Amino acid sequence: MKDLVKFGALALVLLTALLLAVVAGDEGPWYFAWLVGTTMIVLIAVSSAVLFETQEANSLATHKETSQ
Amino acid sequence: MELYIALKIIWALLLGVLLSGLAIMVGMDMGVGTLLRFVGRTDAERRTSLAIIGPHWDGNQVWFILGGGAIFAAFPTLYATSFSTFYVVMILLLFAMILRPVAFEYRSKVDARHWRASWDWAFLVSGALPMIIFGAAFGNVLQGVGFHFGWDGQYYQDESFVWYLLNPFALLCGVMALALAVYQGGAMLMIRGMGDLAARARRFAIGGGLLALVLFAIGGVWIRFIKGFAFTRSVDPGMPATPLGGPAVVMRAGAWLDNFHTHPLLWLLPALGACGMLGGPLALLARKPVLGWWLGALAWIGTIFTAGGAMFPFLMPSSTTPAESLTVWNASGSAYNLGWMLGFAVVFVPIIVTYTGWAFRVMKGKVNPATVVADDHFY
Amino acid sequence: MIDPTVVNLSRLQFALTALYHFQFVPLTLGLSFILAAMETVYVITGKPIYKDMTLFWGKLFGINFAIGVATGLTMEFEFGTNWSMYSHFVGDVFGTPLAIEGLMAFFMESTFVGLMFFGWDRLSRPAHLAVTYLVALASNLSALWILIANGFMQDPAGARFDPVTMRMQFKSFGALVFSPDAQAKFVHTSIAGYVSGAMFVMGISAYYLLRKQHREFAARSFRIAALFGLVSTLAVVTLGDALGRMDDLVQPAKLAAMEGLWHSARGPSAPWKLFALPDDEKQRDAASIGIPYVLTPLVAHEWKTTIPGIYALERAAKARTVSGIKAIIALKSFGASHDPAALAAFRKHENDMGYGFLAQRYAPDQDLSAITPALLPAVLAKTARASIPNVFVEFWSFRIMVGLGVAFIVVFAFGAYYSLKNELEKHPLVMKAAMLAIPLPILACEFGWVTAENGRQPWTVYGWLPTFQSASSHGIGYMIFSLAGFVLLYSLFIAAELYLMFKYARLGPGEHTAQPKPLPVPVRPVFGQPGYAHKPWQ
Repeated sequence: MKDLVKFGALALVLLTALLLAVVAGDEGPWYFAWLVGTTMIVLIAVSSAVLFETQEANSLATHKETSQ
Repeated sequence: MELYIALKIIWALLLGVLLSGLAIMVGMDMGVGTLLRFVGRTDAERRTSLAIIGPHWDGNQVWFILGGGAIFAAFPTLYATSFSTFYVVMILLLFAMILRPVAFEYRSKVDARHWRASWDWAFLVSGALPMIIFGAAFGNVLQGVGFHFGWDGQYYQDESFVWYLLNPFALLCGVMALALAVYQGGAMLMIRGMGDLAARARRFAIGGGLLALVLFAIGGVWIRFIKGFAFTRSVDPGMPATPLGGPAVVMRAGAWLDNFHTHPLLWLLPALGACGMLGGPLALLARKPVLGWWLGALAWIGTIFTAGGAMFPFLMPSSTTPAESLTVWNASGSAYNLGWMLGFAVVFVPIIVTYTGWAFRVMKGKVNPATVVADDHFY
Repeated sequence: MIDPTVVNLSRLQFALTALYHFQFVPLTLGLSFILAAMETVYVITGKPIYKDMTLFWGKLFGINFAIGVATGLTMEFEFGTNWSMYSHFVGDVFGTPLAIEGLMAFFMESTFVGLMFFGWDRLSRPAHLAVTYLVALASNLSALWILIANGFMQDPAGARFDPVTMRMQFKSFGALVFSPDAQAKFVHTSIAGYVSGAMFVMGISAYYLLRKQHREFAARSFRIAALFGLVSTLAVVTLGDALGRMDDLVQPAKLAAMEGLWHSARGPSAPWKLFALPDDEKQRDAASIGIPYVLTPLVAHEWKTTIPGIYALERAAKARTVSGIKAIIALKSFGASHDPAALAAFRKHENDMGYGFLAQRYAPDQDLSAITPALLPAVLAKTARASIPNVFVEFWSFRIMVGLGVAFIVVFAFGAYYSLKNELEKHPLVMKAAMLAIPLPILACEFGWVTAENGRQPWTVYGWLPTFQSASSHGIGYMIFSLAGFVLLYSLFIAAELYLMFKYARLGPGEHTAQPKPLPVPVRPVFGQPGYAHKPWQ
C-alpha cells in the first residue's frame, strides 16, 4: 500500500512536470530553458561535489598503498 | 456588467481581508517590537522575545507587501492617489518598515552593549510608528482627504501633510491600532514565552486590549459628529472606473452611520470587534493566551470591517472636491484584471494559509532562553 | 504644470533605491540555489561537512536576504508614492504581476526562509531539503513576476489604452506573461544572479585556501561554486545576446544607443564600435574604433538587414509626434465633452499618443493646443531629440557589462579546471583573481540594470507614457525630505552589512557552526518545553 502511494505521488509529480514542460515549451520557450537550465546547473554542481568525494577517497587509497 | 459589479464588491471584501491579515500578523510582530524594551529586562529575555517571532516575522511581513500589490492591481487609482497624498507619512512608514528587517538580522550578530541597545530602540520605533500611521491613515480617510484630479487622471493635493499627522481623530485611531498591536504581540509572547517575560507581556497585553476597547467606544461616538460622505443620487456600480465626471457627493455629519441604519445587521461588526477587545484581556487574565490571540484577531477583523462597512462604497473620499471621491465603483481595475486576480487569490490564499499554519506548527512550543543565548544562529 | 526638478528628483530617488536594492537581489537568487545544491550533497552523501557548508553560507545568505527584503519594500510602494500618474495609467495591468508575485512567490520564500534557518532540528533531512529548494524556487519566481512587470514597461504587451478611464486596460494575460521581452529578461537576470552567488562563494573559499584555513570546507565550496558558476556564465552571455536581438525588434532606440549608431547600419560591412566617445550634445562620436563585418551579424544574426541609426529614428519620431499631438488634443476634448467626434479623431492617431504626451513638455505652458504653426518645428525637434536615450551612458554601461561577463567566463573556467584536477593550491593567481572578482558580478548586474532602464528612456511605458508625465505632483520639499532619509538610512545599512559580512567571512565556518560553544547550563532542545519552573539563565 505504501509503495502504491509512493508510486502514485511520483507519477503525479512526473505528470505535472510533463504538463509544465509542454505548456512552457509551447508558450514560453525561455521559461522552459530556465527550468531545464537551472536543473542542469544544480545537478552539475552536485555531481562535481560527489566527484570531489570520489577523488579524495581514491587519493587516500593510493596514498595508503604508496606509504605501505 | 453584473459580473463587473460582483467583482468590484468581492475585491472590496478581499481588501478588507488583506488589511485584516496585515493588521493581525504584522501588528503582532510590531507589538513584540514595541514591547521588546519593556518585557525584556535582560539581553537573554530580549533575544528570547525575538526568537519567539523569529521564524515567522519574515513571512508575516509579506501581508504588508501583498497589501501594497493588491491595492495597486485591484484599485490602481486608489493606490496612486492615497500613497502620493499621504507622501510624508508613507515615507516615514517605509523608513520604519525597512529598519525592522535589518534590526532583526543585525541586532544579535555583534556582542556589544551599545550596538544592541541601539537596535532595541530601532525595534521600538519601527514597531510603534507604523502601527500609529496605519491607524491614523484610517482616521484620515474617514474624515476625507484633500485632493482633486486633472483631466488625464493625475491627482493634485489640496492640503498640507501636517494635518494628516496631527489631527485628533487620526491620532485616536493611531493609538488604538498600536494598542491592538501591543495586545496581539503580548499574547504571542505569552504563548511561547516563559517566566517573567510571559508575566510582563501579560500585563501589557491586558492593558493594550482594554485601552483599545475604550478608544473604540470613543471613536464610535465621535463618528456621529464627523462629516461623512454620501451620494446625492443613485450611482451605477458598473460604471467605468474613472473618478472624473461622477455624480455629486455631499458631506454631512453622521453620514457614516447611514449604512448601519439601512442594514442593521452591520451592527454585528462593531459588536464582534468589541467582543474581541473585551474577551481577549479576560482570556489572558484566565491564562488562556491561545484563545486570547484568536480573540485579538477577531477584534482586528471587527474593527477594520466596521470602518469599511461605514464607508462603503467610499474608499477615499475627497473633502475638497467630494464629487471626485474614490469609491469601490470608480477606482477599481477592469473586469478582466479583477477576474484574473480573483482566480489567483482563490488558488493561492488557501495555500498560503496552509503553509503558514504548517510553519507555526513546526515551530510550536515554548522558547527556551538558555538555548537562544547559547546559539548565535538566533536573532 | 509639471515641475522638471521634481521629476528629476523622483527619478534620482527611484534609481538610487532600485540600484541599491539590486545589489542584494542577485546574491539571493544565486546563493539560494547554491545552498540547495550543497544541502543536496549533504542528503545524498550524509557527510556533515556539507551541512556545515549549508549553515555557513546560509548565514551569509541571511545577512544579505534581510537587507534585500527591507529595500524591496521600498520598491513596492514607491510606484504609488512617487509615480502616481504612472500607477494610475498602468496599474490595471502592471499591478497584477506585482500582486501575483506576493501571492505566489514572496509569501512562500519568506515563510520557508524562517523554517530553513530555524527548522534544522524540527524537520527530517528530506523535508528540510525540500524547504531549501522551495526558498530557492520562490526567490526566483519572485524575480519572474517582477520582470514580467518590467517587461511590460519595455514592451507593453497584453493591454490597450482606454480613453474613457484614461488608462491602459488589461486585455490578455497570456500576452503579458509570455511576452518575449519578459521571458528573455527573466532568464538573463536570474542566471546573472547565479553567477553573482557563485562568484561570492568561490571568492571567499579562495580567500580561505590562500590563507590555508578551513581547507576541507573551502575546497569543497570552491568546487561546487566553480562548476555552478561556469555553466551559469556561459548561459548568461548567450541569453544576453538573445536579449539584444529582442531590443532590435521592439526598442530600436535602445539598441542604437547601446551600439552608438548615429547613422543607420546597412549591409554586412558596418563596423561594430569597440571603443567610442559618444557626444550626446553634438550627436556624433568624439572618437571611435570600429571593427567591420561584426555589427550586423552580432545584433541581427544575419548579414543583410538594416539597423536604424539615431538620425533615422529621430526623423520617424517627428512624424509620430505630429500625429500624437492631434491624438492628445482629441483625447482631452473627449474627456471634457464625451463627444463621439473627438473620440473618432483620437482613434485615428491613437497609436502615437505617447509622442503627443512627450511633446507636452516642450509646448508653451505645457499645453499642446497652444502650439502655433510657427512654434511647431522647434517643438518637433526637441521632442525628437528627447525620444533618444542618453547614448554615452547606454554605450558604456552595456560595454562594461559585456566585458565583465566575458571576464567571468575566464575566471570560472580556470577555477573549475584546477579545482577538478585538485591543483588549486599550485595556482594562487587563479584564487587571487576569484577573490578580487567577488563584487564584480554585482557591478555587472547594476550596469545591466542601467542598460535596460536608461535605454528605456524617455518612456516609463515604452511608446505610451513618458517618464516626464509619470511622476507624482509633489513639491520639492517632499522630495528632499525623502531623498535625505533614504540616503542616510541606506548608508547606515550598507556600513552595517559590509561590517557583518566581513566579520563572518573572516571568522570562517569553524568558529561558529562546526562545534557549538560549551553552555553554562545543560543543553536542552530549543523549543517544546512546557512549564519551565526555575530560571537557570539568570
